Amino acid sequence: MVRILLALMVKEVKELVRDPKILLGVILMPLILFPIMGSAIGVSQESAVRAASSSPIAIYNEDKGEASKSLIGFLEKNCTVIAFEASSLEEALTELDKEGYPALLHIPLGYSANITSGRKAMVRIYANLRDLTITETVGAEAAANLINIYSYQASLSRIERLLGEVGATYEAEAVRSPIAIHYSSLIKGSLIEAPPQSIIGLVISQSVLLPVLVMVMLMFAIQMAATSIAIEKEQKTFETLMTLPISRIAILAGKLGGSIVVAILGSIAYMMGFSFYMGSALRFASQMPLPIGEVGLSPSPIGLLLLGCIIFITLVSGLALAISIAIFTDSVRAAQSLVGVLVIPVVVPAIILMFTSLENLPAGFRWILLVVPYTHSIISSKAALLGDYFRAFGGILYISIFTGSTLYIASRLFSTERIITSRIGFRRSLRTQE
Amino acid sequence: MGIAVEASGLVKNYGRIQALRGCSFKVEEGEVFGLIGPNGAGKTTALRIVGTLLKPTTGWVKVFGVDTVEGASEVRKMIGYLPEDAGAYPNLSGIEYLRFMAGFYARRSDIDAVVNEGIQISGLGERLVERIRGYSKGMTRRLLLARALMMRPRLAILDDPTAGLDIIHAHHIRVKIKEYVEKGGLTVLLSSHNMLEVEYLCDRVALIDRGIVIEEGRPEELKDRYGAENLEKVFLEATRVG
Repeated sequence: MVRILLALMVKEVKELVRDPKILLGVILMPLILFPIMGSAIGVSQESAVRAASSSPIAIYNEDKGEASKSLIGFLEKNCTVIAFEASSLEEALTELDKEGYPALLHIPLGYSANITSGRKAMVRIYANLRDLTITETVGAEAAANLINIYSYQASLSRIERLLGEVGATYEAEAVRSPIAIHYSSLIKGSLIEAPPQSIIGLVISQSVLLPVLVMVMLMFAIQMAATSIAIEKEQKTFETLMTLPISRIAILAGKLGGSIVVAILGSIAYMMGFSFYMGSALRFASQMPLPIGEVGLSPSPIGLLLLGCIIFITLVSGLALAISIAIFTDSVRAAQSLVGVLVIPVVVPAIILMFTSLENLPAGFRWILLVVPYTHSIISSKAALLGDYFRAFGGILYISIFTGSTLYIASRLFSTERIITSRIGFRRSLRTQE
Repeated sequence: MGIAVEASGLVKNYGRIQALRGCSFKVEEGEVFGLIGPNGAGKTTALRIVGTLLKPTTGWVKVFGVDTVEGASEVRKMIGYLPEDAGAYPNLSGIEYLRFMAGFYARRSDIDAVVNEGIQISGLGERLVERIRGYSKGMTRRLLLARALMMRPRLAILDDPTAGLDIIHAHHIRVKIKEYVEKGGLTVLLSSHNMLEVEYLCDRVALIDRGIVIEEGRPEELKDRYGAENLEKVFLEATRVG
């Protein structure tokens, strides 16, 4: 029995892995395309940021007063400044367009007078969007950041001067901003010195990203298994298999086993490729999430084991469902169309639970989602990560019951002649039944 | 010689459509028996019932005395089934396919001998190391015939074994079937649209039309009975009369 099962699985793996479409789509594409995409994004970001940060800021100064000269002096120390000697703003903007500088700083007449008389002064930054790309905003942002720094320092020095004049001993920083907010987060009784946004960002990236990846992998696996069944039916290799002296359960188990092996290979390739993509693409991101270990959210070995169980049982359930559905079809196109419907129960819970928790949903909608086994894949993954093992076990139990039922139905279908006669495309199959 | 296949009163309904309407025939051990009839006559359905793929709505089939429904797994040990217009696994090589199939019948120590037999039957030589994806229809059919015969089954069920093949591949298949029957121990139940092939291969034939057997006998007997010069004319006359 083991030898037969192994032979069926090996055949299935060979058939799937040697199929150029599956090899490319499930294994090579994530391993090659994701790193290439990540590197491309990383390199383009790097070069764009480098180009933008080294780009000069054009200045059209109508004011000519001391305060504006002080601002320009500060900017000259921190970046390259190109002074436009234009007779009007329109002429300066025409030159900006012609020269292609990323941004123009316009210091209007009266700027210095406002500064010296204690009124709020205004400057205007014109961003030059020639190609309408995201990186073109970097030049304007760099100018705005420098002006904010200058404004902050000017504000502090003015407060210090005023405090000196009245003989007060206050800190200039405290006068400018008397209340500072410090965030802490309480997670299941543990105090973590981090803002809630960072924690949630971390949980989303770690516990939702994984189920989303599993969902993508699941869709691949479902399509793969359905296609494999449909090809066997189209090629009539199933007819041959069904007349061999082996049990039909062994045929089903071999098909499931082979599909699971390829799906796991695909998921490993997907996760490797995706982690490389994230690493490459986010190399220059300024705010990376907190390291998971620092906030005490590292999954325990039991949590990881449960996570593995959830992924595995979810895969088996999806494959069993795909096979049960594909049995009714008589062509690859019909099988793919039919299992395409499974996108709804697989993807909808993943998307909803990315943005909210189940408890926040209306009761009716919550119960509908709870009936869908793949909702439990996500809830249980998060529960395993957060150490809520009871909930994780509950999810695994529910998915297992669903999987068991699906496998039972699939095995019953395999034992009937439905697999030969089929229902969808029945007219065509009848024509061939002489 | 005993009875290899006995089909009695076979009825098979697909919903409202009746594919077989009380079909009965007997195949003697060691003979080549042909089911001939027009498209939609019920030949494939009858062969699928004998091959344990379908269950009759009513009636029964016994293969060497074993009921195809009650003793399906026992019957499967005795048969080699070749579906009409079937393919093989395109991403396996010919050798891998034969080895995969041999593993279900033979002991580990006997697999090489069985595969060698398959290689001989197929006559595909070095092409067997190539992926089946690149095989022509004729090559695939030869490989599938090799798979069906290499295990030396007691009964080979061949559904239109040479349909759509060129002369060379069709000839190879007919010769191999004849050769294996003459070696002894093999009974063949086949369907075909090629009357020349039926006359060349079959010891006895049954004419099947609209789900029932309308004539049965040796090709020579049938030709004499209808005063026809060949089976094609017998067939046309029998279906007209029927």
